[in-house]
Amino acid sequence: MYGRRASQLLKELSTCEPGQLTSFNTDVFDQVLKECNAHHLELQSLMRKIQEEELDVQTTKNAEHFGAVIHHLSLMRNKRCLMAYMYNRAQIIQSLRWKLGPVLPQEIQEKLNFSEEEYFKNYSAALESYASELELDLTVDMVPPKDPYIKVRVLDDIGDVLLSDQSPNLARHSIHFLKRTDAEQFISQGLMEELLG
Amino acid sequence: MSRYFDIDDIIMEDEHSAVFFKVGANGVGLLDPSAETNRVEQGSRVELPFWLANELYLRQAVSVNVPPCFNLKTRREIQADAACVDLRSRCPYFYELGCKVAPLIGDKTIGSFLLYAFMNRFKDILSKAHSAAFAVAPRFLPLLTKEEMQLYEAACSSMTGFKKWRVGGSRFEKASILGKKKRSSE
Repeated sequence: MYGRRASQLLKELSTCEPGQLTSFNTDVFDQVLKECNAHHLELQSLMRKIQEEELDVQTTKNAEHFGAVIHHLSLMRNKRCLMAYMYNRAQIIQSLRWKLGPVLPQEIQEKLNFSEEEYFKNYSAALESYASELELDLTVDMVPPKDPYIKVRVLDDIGDVLLSDQSPNLARHSIHFLKRTDAEQFISQGLMEELLG
Repeated sequence: MSRYFDIDDIIMEDEHSAVFFKVGANGVGLLDPSAETNRVEQGSRVELPFWLANELYLRQAVSVNVPPCFNLKTRREIQADAACVDLRSRCPYFYELGCKVAPLIGDKTIGSFLLYAFMNRFKDILSKAHSAAFAVAPRFLPLLTKEEMQLYEAACSSMTGFKKWRVGGSRFEKASILGKKKRSSE
């Protein structure tokens, strides 16, 4: 009660690495919502007591009033914690779209709530419609480019891929000379690595 | 308003401090674990989180005591040698809490005390962040508050970025959320 459970949610978020995501903690989330209902009921009963004693609700400052104030403040605190939890997770999900592209790997998909998956899809769709209007892919060139082509070694079997200027067979451990904008997506998903020297 | 969603701000406001209730409050059992009835009596001493103490102070329902991390013992230790004091075990949000609590308890010396502590510790943090190898760092890292940790990490990351730029390694990186790649057994 009184905001203690809600802080647990946020401590969870703060202890994991920045940019990483934990599973959506539905249990604690629901418990906090139940606590909010309990606070609300207490608040209403205290207000009723004030009215029964025929005191003016606006100006009385007796013990019931302060009890009601404490319940109201706990409600506001729970609301703030829940909203901050959702907001910070939503920020991480947004950054995932930029780093990993429109399809999320399975292990990350499992950690998302249903509404967070919807959020990701809608955000992805909005980004794509904006990019297609500009006719520019915004998620490449996140680092200032130096060369138009880079040498890469493939780490995972991808198979035949159709790229803008070639269609190489991306077998494991093979080395290719790809356009930087094409390779960037694969590198950030961990499927390729850049070769230097 | 920009701090409404800030996680550090919210967790910081959870720090407890003792308050004296100037009025009674009904229907709030469980707020004071030692109370037998469903209310808090006038004049009772309760440990409240900062966010609640702040709001009740503004409504003139409580008077707030000095939080234990700013008491005389801590002040003496900081004056003796600021850099070695373990502030994280006392209060991980030492500076922020001090800034927010100062108007509540009417103590005008907290500001200068925080500044003195910070100045002395910052010299150490800065020099160690820019020069220390990983072997030296863990010894004094647990003493830092959250704010100091953020400064330290910012300095470390800018040093590694500089070294990487000078050496000239690959600038493309795998997205950090994917974690370590599992090598398939072959």
